[in-house]
Amino acid sequence: MAFREGFVEADGFRIRYMEDGEGEPLVHLHGAGGMRLTGAHDLLSRRHRVIVFEMPGFGRSAENTRTGSASELGATMGAAVAALGIGRFNLMATSFGARPALWLAIKQPDRVQAVVLEGSGAIRPPGHQPPSGTPAEIARLIFAHPERLGAVPPIDPAVAARQRALVGRLRGPDRDADLEATMRDLAVPVLVLFGTLDRVMPPAMGRHYKALLPNCHLVFVYDAGHEISTDRPEAFAEVTADFLERHEAFVINRTETVIHP
Amino acid sequence: MKLSYFETGRYVPPPDLPREWPVPPGSYDPATGAAALGGMADRVRFVAELGFDWVSLSEHHYSPRILTPSPVVSAAWLAACVPGIRIALLGPIVPTSNPIRVAEELAMLDTLAPGRIVVGLLRGTTNEYLSYDLNPAESRTRTDEGMELILKAWTEPQPFGWQGRHFQYRTVSIWPRPQQAMPPTYVLGTSGEAGAFAARHRLGLGVSYGTFEAMAQATGYYRQQCAEYGWTPGPDDIVYRANMILGETDEAAEETLRQRDKQAPFPITGPLRDALLQADFTRNIAGEKRPANVGGVLPISFCGGPDRVVEQLRRCREVVGAGVVDLSLQDPGTGGLDAMMDALDLFGRKVLPRVRDI
Repeated sequence: MAFREGFVEADGFRIRYMEDGEGEPLVHLHGAGGMRLTGAHDLLSRRHRVIVFEMPGFGRSAENTRTGSASELGATMGAAVAALGIGRFNLMATSFGARPALWLAIKQPDRVQAVVLEGSGAIRPPGHQPPSGTPAEIARLIFAHPERLGAVPPIDPAVAARQRALVGRLRGPDRDADLEATMRDLAVPVLVLFGTLDRVMPPAMGRHYKALLPNCHLVFVYDAGHEISTDRPEAFAEVTADFLERHEAFVINRTETVIHP
Repeated sequence: MKLSYFETGRYVPPPDLPREWPVPPGSYDPATGAAALGGMADRVRFVAELGFDWVSLSEHHYSPRILTPSPVVSAAWLAACVPGIRIALLGPIVPTSNPIRVAEELAMLDTLAPGRIVVGLLRGTTNEYLSYDLNPAESRTRTDEGMELILKAWTEPQPFGWQGRHFQYRTVSIWPRPQQAMPPTYVLGTSGEAGAFAARHRLGLGVSYGTFEAMAQATGYYRQQCAEYGWTPGPDDIVYRANMILGETDEAAEETLRQRDKQAPFPITGPLRDALLQADFTRNIAGEKRPANVGGVLPISFCGGPDRVVEQLRRCREVVGAGVVDLSLQDPGTGGLDAMMDALDLFGRKVLPRVRDI
């Protein structure tokens, strides 16, 4: 991977990010497990300037006791993007990151060109609990085929505890009435991706986004779990890049089928 | 026990017809073909009156052995011609089909004949891949993905896209939808993959032609998988398709068995057969490797007079666990129709009333 590490100041936080590629900016907000680069980031960086943030309070960053809601976290990340000198950008979010991302798109629709949500946790079934257990147990929940990934890297227990506390504070109610009411007015095109084998967030939740968002496309990625970009990076990157390039027109097939001209 | 009659569009072949697959289409006789397909409704009316619960249909290509390349067309015709009896499509060959088209056509059938359509989703035998130019090595994964997509197309209430390995659609939104969430649906096959898929989606399992013991391996694995997914299949969740030779007496049936062709009708032979066997290497029963069947003669699972056949059906129920038995009373692609109609009549009078309570 050629991703380079950087830091940016925003809202009083020193925010770490990884960056690679050129082209329209694509900003990624990670899930509850923190920032992790995948093969999909590499593939997307061939066409985009990909910026993968480590949100305040996650990973190596200092403890975050200040952010009070997903909406606030979204605003902070919007400020971080602005601090990098970026005006308009594409926004991608995974699971827990989806709610801050949607709030950011709702509050600053002129800056966000399109949104891609991976295994979105913005709308959750009643009583939903985030995955917990040992790293191996969590891997079995979030990936369709953890056996293909090799050894699960250990995570610092102190970091894990800080992240759990932060996610617990920011995840909010399973259904956020304010968010869902404002989603109805979000004109920004949104691509919602669910893996058919998602064991963390039922893929059936995808239909709520279709019902609420006026410009939403729902795509099921076959044989992928919660973290589609790890399970099927090529499939994830292809549909994401196509959507970011063509928005609604991505439903029009451009694949040539001539076998022998 | 429920009984099903396997209707194959009985083309009665003249003796000089070429015997190897594919059979040259120039040998096709339109009048014989019209009689074969035109007779389907008469035969199904007959078995419905005898008390059969289902008529089953299949998809096969390029030979007169089974003259129904499109089970959907057969089913639509029979649903319109014959009231009452359930029509089981066992089934569309999924890996060679457009899954969206399959979902649409089956939903349409389910709407035209509400409550009468039964669906079997099939990987198909190796020879079928030659018809629509499918790489046999991909048949397993295309089947699994195609089945998943068919179920999603039936049940997802919002338009969706599908980013698969073998199939990609940006917009799926079928009309009509099935009358219920989905028609009664079976995964057809003995493999571990088939059993696990059926269990995960709470579908039935259809097995065919093997010995009771071999089929029990497949259905046992299926039941075990169902338990892991927290449910218990009932007898109607297991279908067993098989050949039966029924005579007035055991001796008469055994004599028919002795005279039976030792070669499959219209087989694939020679180097092509060997190459196909090599290309299709993932066949298994409940995970235990077995060779593909290419051009082999299908066994007879039930043979005897009425008393013996009743006992064999009872044993099938006990060993295989099948609550639905789907029967051919004469090898498809062989002989005249009279013997088969006589056997069906005998089955209706002397066997069927005695196996209801099994």
